Amino acid sequence: MNYLLRGVLLAAALVSMLAPLSAQAQAPKGKLVLYTSQPERDATQTTAAFKQAYPGVEVEVFRSGTTEVMGKLAAEFAAGAPKADVLLIADAASMEALKKDGRLLPYPEARVAGLAAGTYDADRTYFGSKLITTGIAVNTAAKSRPASWADLAKPENKGQIAMPSPLYSGAAAIMLGTMTARPDLGWAFFEKLKADEAVAVRGNGAVLTAVASGEKPYGVLVDFMAFNAKAKGSPIEFIFPAEGVPAVTEPVAMLKTAQNPAAGRAFIDFILSDEGQKLALSMGYIPAKASVGMPSWLPPGTVIKLMPTDIGNVVQNNSANLKRFSELFGN
Amino acid sequence: MARLIVDCVTKTFGALHALDQVSLDVGDGEFMAILGPSGCGKTTLLRQIAGFDKLDGGRIVIGETVVSTVTQHVPPERRRIGIVFQSYALWPHMTVAENVAYGLTVAGVRDPERTRRVDAALTLVELEGYAERRPSMLSGGQRQRVALARCLVTEPSLVLLDEPLANLDVHLRASMEEEFARFHARTGTTMVYITHDQAEAMALADRIAVMDRGRLLQVATPSQLYREPADASVAAFIGEGIVVPAEVIDVDSRGRCRVDLFGLSVSMRCPLAQTPTRAARVCLRAANLAIVGAGVPGIGARVVRSVYQGGHFRVEAQLDHADGVLVHLAAAEPCRLAPGDAIRIGIDDGWVLPETGEIVDSTAPESADSRRFDGGTVATGADG
Amino acid sequence: MADTAGLRERAEETALLWVLVAIVAILSLVPLARLLFEGVAPGGRFSTAALSNVLSSATTWTAAQHSLVTACGGTALAVLIGATVAVLVALTDIRGRNAFVFCFVLPLMIAPQVVALAWLQLFGPSSTLLKMIGLAPAMGSRNPLYSAQGIILLLGVQYAPLVFLTLRAGLRTLPQELLEAGLAAGAKPPTILRTIVLPLMTPPLVAGIALCFVSCLGNFGIPAFLGIPGNYLVLPTLIYQRLAGLGPSVLSEVAVLSCLIGFIAVLGIFLQDLMLRRRDFRITTTSNAMRPFELARWRPAVEIALWILTIVVLVLPLVALLLSSLVPAAGVPLTAKSATWSNYDYVLFDHAAAKRALVNSFSLSATAAIVIVLVAVPLAYFLVWRRSRLLRVLNLAAEMPYALPGVVLAIAAILVFLKPLPVLGLTLYNTVWIILFGYLARFLVLGLRPVIGGYYQLDRTLEEAAQIAGARLLRRLATIILPLVAPMATAGALLVFLTAFNELTVSALLWSSGAETLGVVVFSFQQGGDSTYAAALAMLTVAVTIALMLSTLLTGKPARGVLPWRD
Repeated sequence: MNYLLRGVLLAAALVSMLAPLSAQAQAPKGKLVLYTSQPERDATQTTAAFKQAYPGVEVEVFRSGTTEVMGKLAAEFAAGAPKADVLLIADAASMEALKKDGRLLPYPEARVAGLAAGTYDADRTYFGSKLITTGIAVNTAAKSRPASWADLAKPENKGQIAMPSPLYSGAAAIMLGTMTARPDLGWAFFEKLKADEAVAVRGNGAVLTAVASGEKPYGVLVDFMAFNAKAKGSPIEFIFPAEGVPAVTEPVAMLKTAQNPAAGRAFIDFILSDEGQKLALSMGYIPAKASVGMPSWLPPGTVIKLMPTDIGNVVQNNSANLKRFSELFGN
Repeated sequence: MARLIVDCVTKTFGALHALDQVSLDVGDGEFMAILGPSGCGKTTLLRQIAGFDKLDGGRIVIGETVVSTVTQHVPPERRRIGIVFQSYALWPHMTVAENVAYGLTVAGVRDPERTRRVDAALTLVELEGYAERRPSMLSGGQRQRVALARCLVTEPSLVLLDEPLANLDVHLRASMEEEFARFHARTGTTMVYITHDQAEAMALADRIAVMDRGRLLQVATPSQLYREPADASVAAFIGEGIVVPAEVIDVDSRGRCRVDLFGLSVSMRCPLAQTPTRAARVCLRAANLAIVGAGVPGIGARVVRSVYQGGHFRVEAQLDHADGVLVHLAAAEPCRLAPGDAIRIGIDDGWVLPETGEIVDSTAPESADSRRFDGGTVATGADG
Repeated sequence: MADTAGLRERAEETALLWVLVAIVAILSLVPLARLLFEGVAPGGRFSTAALSNVLSSATTWTAAQHSLVTACGGTALAVLIGATVAVLVALTDIRGRNAFVFCFVLPLMIAPQVVALAWLQLFGPSSTLLKMIGLAPAMGSRNPLYSAQGIILLLGVQYAPLVFLTLRAGLRTLPQELLEAGLAAGAKPPTILRTIVLPLMTPPLVAGIALCFVSCLGNFGIPAFLGIPGNYLVLPTLIYQRLAGLGPSVLSEVAVLSCLIGFIAVLGIFLQDLMLRRRDFRITTTSNAMRPFELARWRPAVEIALWILTIVVLVLPLVALLLSSLVPAAGVPLTAKSATWSNYDYVLFDHAAAKRALVNSFSLSATAAIVIVLVAVPLAYFLVWRRSRLLRVLNLAAEMPYALPGVVLAIAAILVFLKPLPVLGLTLYNTVWIILFGYLARFLVLGLRPVIGGYYQLDRTLEEAAQIAGARLLRRLATIILPLVAPMATAGALLVFLTAFNELTVSALLWSSGAETLGVVVFSFQQGGDSTYAAALAMLTVAVTIALMLSTLLTGKPARGVLPWRD
């Protein structure tokens, strides 16, 4: 065999050996730091599933309430050394604030096919991972079943309503912004709630506890919490009110200062992929990708009437809204 | 065994002169008592010697070492002295043996040497067998002895005792006095004993330093202090001396003189440097006074009161024509004197107080060298 | 030669002093300074915007007023309960003393937010107990605990054991003869309490009051549960609200609000110093502890009252907790059929973080308690007996990390430790060590105050006798002083351990995978609506604590007064 042929064969052999290596080299590895405000169990399941899909990546998770997560981030920004690579937090309002601050890294190549419009940022900086709606939760022993928001705010329900406080919950803040922007609800709705002596507690968990224990038979609550509790036997029902439901999307985003952007992109890919969406479904959420299916607790054929949310509007009016809410509900 | 030199020591707290130019020299092996009423500064002086406070003036020397000056200060842990505190300061969380052994442990002495010395110390104070008790289980006298044993076990060169018998009853006090005396005789440690009780001081000390209001009044042997007080306050403090004005008529060269006391002529002792004067003061003792009958020279007086003291009466009387001067004397049992009775008092001896009333150090231990005692006179060889 | 040895000793003592100064400075000053810096110069640019925003807002002053009201009210109630119980336990002949103390101190072990939740349920319409006695309020009626009074009540109940621990340790040193002198003079026990015991107990009492005030001021859990629903804000919850509101200026506003809390706390400390200055509380006799006052015919009534107190304060919330841990989900009524161990199963076996959290919390709390006491004894020595002026100033700073809300301290710690340490190149961030730092900084004052009270009661001649015996400072501290302040020091160590064990607000921001703490895990469960898991974990915590406290009864004889439930 002449030297030229041998050389070519050798080169071909080398290339063929390198090809899988380079394919492997493209697979993300190293450490991925995730800050999330998902419930504990969901965070564990998500990271476990991600690790299965991408075994080369070691995930470090910080999980706490949205307030704590944002507080920690703020401190890290102030000290000049943010540690997080990706964020998965409850509401888009917080993401918008970060985006405005220039903290987010856009991911234009993200596969957004099949995702409902409006669940991801137009500039591809953050992407909704699921759909969490807020509706009316009712203790099974309650006297009535309000079919709409207007029903909930009726004077008969005085002293019997619990709601998550927008001052402490980003999701509730979005709910406030969305509902006050609507002519059929607006601030009048909240004024009626105030007249009904509704109690604004710190977070949805507290609302669930209040409603399930019967302390407040009616509550404004996120869907998955009510349904998961019901599945375990809690005496609680969830109602989709007639006017529609505000929703948050629990967006995922990457920080500009991410130290492992490759892994970050892989994480976002995973969340938006069929696999990731099916995982969300199995955890009891409505997935962002409708094609994947609907959770079992949702009666088949139910049409969820989503209230449209102009996220930019909500963010812009946020501090004014919060101030007004705080004044309304007494200081 | 150390000599302690306190040289012109001053300590002020704000405007209060707790110690005012106090100077004292304690000889090797000497038992010196510092005597004075409450607030006279004796405890302050002790704390200075021990090193718990810093000086404002003067210096203190223990043995060969200057331990305190205004600029220098050797901390208490390095002074190698012993203290018996008034409250005993026994550590409640340790047994008697541990209390006593502490100083040895600190010095690095190990068993069996340490136990041997602890046992020896306890034997010395007659507390063998009490080694494992706790201080709260002991009586006052026993605690006192543990404190003493603790102080001695490290064989210090100087021992300070801060009113050690103040909290004990009369009988215990007597036996503890014996204890101290025996101990001093046996070991020859230099001891500085703070007390307000003159009987204690007289019984135990080689010399006594009398203090009042931060100043040293007199340093002398007990006998000299009693017989030849340096000024009116010492005279009054020691043995309840009675200080009265008198006139010195003439003086002979051997320390005796003739004194006119409210018309009575008495032969008394006086300082060698005494000169005749109209404005002298003398110190009388109850032992030198007696009730005399007519025909014996005496001063008229009126009885103020008469108190039984077990075997004799203490009679207080006001001298006639003497401007209300009050004297007291002993009268044998039975005595039927009542207040208001007229009596006559005879005087057989007294002491003329030195004119200037400054510190007189009747015996300097080693030499009669001039000492810095504010220019006071040094009377040597006076034995009254 | 004596001179050089003396110099060396003085150098040793000065070195010790400076080490202590450095420790307090690092634990207190550095984080606070960094936070302050953030307040006036966010992002490095000087600006008073945050300052003016916060100080001009009416909400700030309302919250400050509320803080003062609840802190004073809570302290008053805690002192009332704690002091009464301490006097009864230490000075009278009630029976079952040890068991009672055990139960009285236990509520300190339960996280404040768990306690708040239990009491809320107790007074709410689903309360099993109230249903039993037919007093259950109608469904949906307003819970009386959602008010300033509710907050004060729970704060008082939460911190009464704190006052009790410090006061009782002090009462142990009261010698028989002082009280007998009073009895002999014809005074009845109440008069003796008022005229002899109370004045002599001023140092421990004041220490307890000061601690209590600062604790109430910085407490977040109780006003969070009881105040937020009614929008009754105190400064810590206001800070939390600001944090939740986002915005680039949030940290600087948080910093300014923190300074406000710190200022109020400093006022409290000045008061404490004022009360203790220039008065002699020293007890020099070494006689036995007090023979109790005899209660005679009052005894059964008093004992019953005490046990009712225990039941209300401890048993009821624990039972509520237990019941909710046995149901499969919130609101399911507890019956023989519905009772399940599944929550415990999950927490113990399926949830890796819960087990880790138990171990982490235990080791962190124990380490913090030991280190703090070891620092507190020499620190208090220099503060009380040497009157080091430098340390007195630092002493004020040491109060701050406890008075400020935990979340603020956590932020300060992040700001300081985010980047690797200079010189050493170590990164504490996101490790267990930054949490330990947070605990040391925060709870130093809990360990220090009781020890300071103990020094005020010691006779200094005991140290002087040791000096004369030749012992140097370190040896004196170790062999003479430490054993004598041991009761107070242990009270301090216990306080630190108990508080750190369930602590939430500091570790909420500082924890990371592998470095979870119990408070964090319970909080996550509660937030996620898994109140049954939260209850199960809380019950486990209580069980472990009871086991630990019981085990101390089995070990050999410690010095008297070291453990409050062992006599």
